[in-house]
Amino acid sequence: MSGPILDPRYALPFAEAALPVLRNAQLRKNVAHAIDTIQAKRARLVAEKADWQALRDAASAIRSHVLEHLPGYLEEFETRCTAQGGIVHWAADAAEARDIALKILAEAKADSVVKVKSMTTAEIQLNAALEQRSIAVFETDLAEIILQLGDEEPSHIVVPALHVNRAQIREIFAREMNLPNLSDEPQALAEAARVFLRRKFLTSPAAISGANFLIAESGAVAVVESEGNGRMCLTLPQTLITIAGIEKVLPRFRDLEVFLQLLARSATGERMNPYTSLWTGVTPGDGPQNFHIILLDNRRSSILARPVERQTLKCIRCAACMNTCPVYRQTGGHAYGSVYPGPIGAILTPQLMGMQHAQSLPFASTLCGACYEVCPVKINIPEVLVELRAEVVAQGHQSIGGLFERLAMQVTSFVFRDERRFQVAQTFLRFLARLLTRKDGWIHALPAMGGKWTQTRDLPGLPPQSFRMWWRDNEAREPAKDA
Amino acid sequence: MATREKLLASLHAATTFRGGDRPLTYSALARPYIDAGKRSLSERIALLIERLRGYDAEVSETTPQELHATITYVVEKSGRKQLVVPVGLPATWLGPATNWQRDNGSAHGTIDAADGVMTAASCAIADSGTIALHHGPLEGRRLLSLLPDWHLIVLHSCQIVETLPEYFARFVEPPGLVTWISGPSATADIEMTRIKGVHGPRFLSVIIVHDELSRPT
Ligand code: SF4
Repeated sequence: MSGPILDPRYALPFAEAALPVLRNAQLRKNVAHAIDTIQAKRARLVAEKADWQALRDAASAIRSHVLEHLPGYLEEFETRCTAQGGIVHWAADAAEARDIALKILAEAKADSVVKVKSMTTAEIQLNAALEQRSIAVFETDLAEIILQLGDEEPSHIVVPALHVNRAQIREIFAREMNLPNLSDEPQALAEAARVFLRRKFLTSPAAISGANFLIAESGAVAVVESEGNGRMCLTLPQTLITIAGIEKVLPRFRDLEVFLQLLARSATGERMNPYTSLWTGVTPGDGPQNFHIILLDNRRSSILARPVERQTLKCIRCAACMNTCPVYRQTGGHAYGSVYPGPIGAILTPQLMGMQHAQSLPFASTLCGACYEVCPVKINIPEVLVELRAEVVAQGHQSIGGLFERLAMQVTSFVFRDERRFQVAQTFLRFLARLLTRKDGWIHALPAMGGKWTQTRDLPGLPPQSFRMWWRDNEAREPAKDA
Repeated sequence: MATREKLLASLHAATTFRGGDRPLTYSALARPYIDAGKRSLSERIALLIERLRGYDAEVSETTPQELHATITYVVEKSGRKQLVVPVGLPATWLGPATNWQRDNGSAHGTIDAADGVMTAASCAIADSGTIALHHGPLEGRRLLSLLPDWHLIVLHSCQIVETLPEYFARFVEPPGLVTWISGPSATADIEMTRIKGVHGPRFLSVIIVHDELSRPT
């Protein structure tokens, strides 16, 4: 069996792609172990923060504000960054961003690059393009080295190798770094990576990074990391290329006080990540003297134009939504067929890649709302999922199933639009449900297409009275009391 | 350039006001979170020390008068002989037993070969155990505090704030270069457990100078 495919154009539908994982006990164990660890740490650190909800509110408001004023803030960033010696490029899509990066590297005569982990470069499939031009690419984040050397695919946006355990990492390192006596102690594995990369950091002519935040008021770029590989890439090579989605901008330096209190707690369950770096254009005598930043659209502007979907762009890529998602916990990241897995992937991937390539993803969710509850910038992921589902349905696949679904959606919307129709429909459905409810008060089997759903679940029967009936009977008798 | 103009035009079109609630201006954005802490200076210092030790950093405390002796003691105890320092670091900090090398744009290899580095800092945030470097003459180039395996930071008690918003209130003018350090380099990539030491300094040592205990001379 070949490995997972993280390109929505070629990946299998979610339900099929999930099967190999569901059958792989070791993989599920690795994912569950990692997720449980991070969840426990996050819960502890969020609980100690008395103003957690206030921080979320502020973060959400700042990100919404930025999106409403995006062109202005991007131009402000461009002006400031340029004034400090940075060179700003704009890329409409992945191909243009890759071309710009390749051109800069050719001018710098760079035949190798060190890379800081970046979701945006994964999104535009930069590594393959570099390798095609015979530019050696060295990923430097520990997890990315594991994936690169082990020929694995990322399954998480913060801890991309979370599906690989220490014994498997030992095996990859021992083989690829030629260290037959390496132990599987995490400390020893980290040391191996340190030695392996030090020379590359010191000799590489160029580095490529993503960005966590761009600061409009100063033109600074912020990168958040743990290991120091980011700092190496940002300070040692002569040429630095940063690739950032256009949504990454924040108005002011000060806004980081909100996001840096939320990000590490949400992402790794720490009060603060070990290292955060900011730099502004070029600083004589310190770091790369040749700094380029590529601002990437890649359909973000069309997401911005849609009122419900726009909130997708508030994301700060903390991964809290996937860590809490009951579906992700079972399937891991590969089933999503994209570099962005989990709930954020389920809404972002179809929008970035075009709906026709990821029709199953908006359905890879139970709409339980756990992701919305943890999201530090309060993206209402279920709301966006429902919107995208409606779009998939509207695009209408021609199958009989699709036809029924469309019909059902139309009937539902017809019924919901009028109160009398709703009441009549409700009475009728209550009658049907009563027929299906067994003595124990549960529905064990739905007829027809609903049968698939009840194969693995039971449904509680309906209570004897609907809320509307109760309201009608009680409203007159119990006037609302003032508290 | 064509892409830039087209992209900005589509962003303008996507964000044109179409009725409903007017979007808030920046200054109207609500900031209901805690901005300043309530701890006294000594409680702030205690919290910072607890956080730093939690990250596995080493912490010593001293007075302005004792600083020189404390540096000598900490360096000797570490067993490190070859230390690099930024150009602007006061000569009075440097004891005779150590081979101190001032960084005058030294080659990367020279800095990489040093046993350690000593720098000052711009600020520390107790709540998260974070030390901020802004890379002025006392803090040095960024790679100086990155390549050697041991980083000794001298921090003054007046530089310690409790919360992150207090840090930003102190530095209204954004510094061009910033490195926030919260403990030694670490990773959580192996089974989500924080492990000390990958590429940055694996050993972090902090000397806190109690300015408030300064005797008038
Ligand atoms: S959607 Fe929210 S929770 Fe998920 S990665 Fe983005 S910011 Fe984090």
